[in-house]
Amino acid sequence: MVKKEKIDLFRQLKSRDYLASGTPALVKTGEGRYLTVEGKGAPGGEDFNRKIGALYGVAYTIKMTRKYAGEQDYVVGKLEAQWWSDSKSEDFGNLPPEKWRWKLMIRTPGFVEQKELESAVSVLLEKKKDQAVKEIKLETIAEGQCVQMLHVGPYEEERKSVERMKAFAEEQGLKFSGLHHEIYISDPRRVPPKQLKTILRIPVSRL
Amino acid sequence: MKPSTLKDYKERMLRVLIHIQEHLDDEPDLEELARIACFSMYHFHRIFRGMLGESVREHIRRLKLERAASRLKHSNTPVTTIAFEAGYESHEAFTRAFKAMAGISPSEFRLQKGSLSQPVSPSEVHYQERAQLSDFIPVQMGGVSMEVKFENIMPMRVAFVRHVGPYDECGKAWDKLTTELGRRGLLGTDTKYIGLCYDDPDVTPAEKVRYDACVTVPEDFMPENDIGVQTIAGGEYVLVTHFGPYNRLGETYARLFGEWLPRSGRHLRSAPCLEVYLNDPEGTDPEDLVTDIYVPLESR
Repeated sequence: MVKKEKIDLFRQLKSRDYLASGTPALVKTGEGRYLTVEGKGAPGGEDFNRKIGALYGVAYTIKMTRKYAGEQDYVVGKLEAQWWSDSKSEDFGNLPPEKWRWKLMIRTPGFVEQKELESAVSVLLEKKKDQAVKEIKLETIAEGQCVQMLHVGPYEEERKSVERMKAFAEEQGLKFSGLHHEIYISDPRRVPPKQLKTILRIPVSRL
Repeated sequence: MKPSTLKDYKERMLRVLIHIQEHLDDEPDLEELARIACFSMYHFHRIFRGMLGESVREHIRRLKLERAASRLKHSNTPVTTIAFEAGYESHEAFTRAFKAMAGISPSEFRLQKGSLSQPVSPSEVHYQERAQLSDFIPVQMGGVSMEVKFENIMPMRVAFVRHVGPYDECGKAWDKLTTELGRRGLLGTDTKYIGLCYDDPDVTPAEKVRYDACVTVPEDFMPENDIGVQTIAGGEYVLVTHFGPYNRLGETYARLFGEWLPRSGRHLRSAPCLEVYLNDPEGTDPEDLVTDIYVPLESR
């Protein structure tokens, strides 16, 4: 039996969507399919943890159902998240974490379909998993041109990196025009805060 | 520092080392060696490696080569006979192994009446021509002292697939287990992925090494087909975290069993060690893998 190579989107897109170094740079990101779920409140809070659990539950159920059926196998992607707030005037980072809005995302190959999501959700509900699985969506997101950089250090110190990204964008005659997007490379449960690696991505457009 | 347990561990291991030297030509019998030292079979091979810096098999192989050197020097026995006594089927294989140890071939060694003043060995335990071994110094790994934690864990109900064969092929058991549980919606962020290792891959023939790939499951999960259910014993464990590729787990085990254990004042419970894998090896670079090693302790 010839086995097709397992798809690993993060590795495959390392020189495009996930290209990031210690200095801000412009990247042209492609359209991507994601499993997503939205929520509100501090990272690590109750809603956040419930939704992470629901998102991973769905992601692994879809992947393993495909694998069991002998279909194209793939690596479950890294956790990503977009962050914003309801305030028109204030940047979310200036508000208390309880007011933060977020969308947790896991990049998924384009061949994963809505009906696979639906059957995974019903399997999980049958197993009496958290009702939050009902909120998981399959979305196609296109961010286009973005400023991107690798932030190394605690999440609380991201602001410095964002300032650099902003200055870089302005030098290029660009402005931030989309949601603050983070891609989590390190596992915060084990990696010391000083060594945490996070890709920061912010869509930009002409000034 | 608990010198009394260090002394106790040393004395027990010394009995094993003497037994090995007196039975160099026998196939090593791990169960017998463990019994001589009063160590559990689950842990004996790791304590040995930790204290001696080499596996039982490597240890015996080296002592036989040292004995061969002595026979080359002090007897006229033909090289082929000496090679055979050292456990080598061919003259070439013996020459290669001997050269790796002594730097020169067996016949050169014999001509030069060479001496093995400083044969390479991590533990400084050498082949004893006449006298019985009376003491040894356990290998000191040095470096930063090991960070360990103690944890009391509750018994864990797990689904498992047993793998019998070389360790580096246990991925097949994981595939079977995670595919089956995953499609049933049983893998989530609270799932624990645990490996149980029963054998020493250095001594047990590769095709007989047993390993259980385990995943925590709820009470209502029932065994079926190749997927069994067992309960991992609760109780006190010492916990050390291994950072990096799985094929280097042995180094962390060696430090824990060689450096920490003999000085800890603690004794091990006769149950397998647990490896708890904290990230998904599919999407993680080997250097970024994190594994918690749990070693079962006897209660004080």
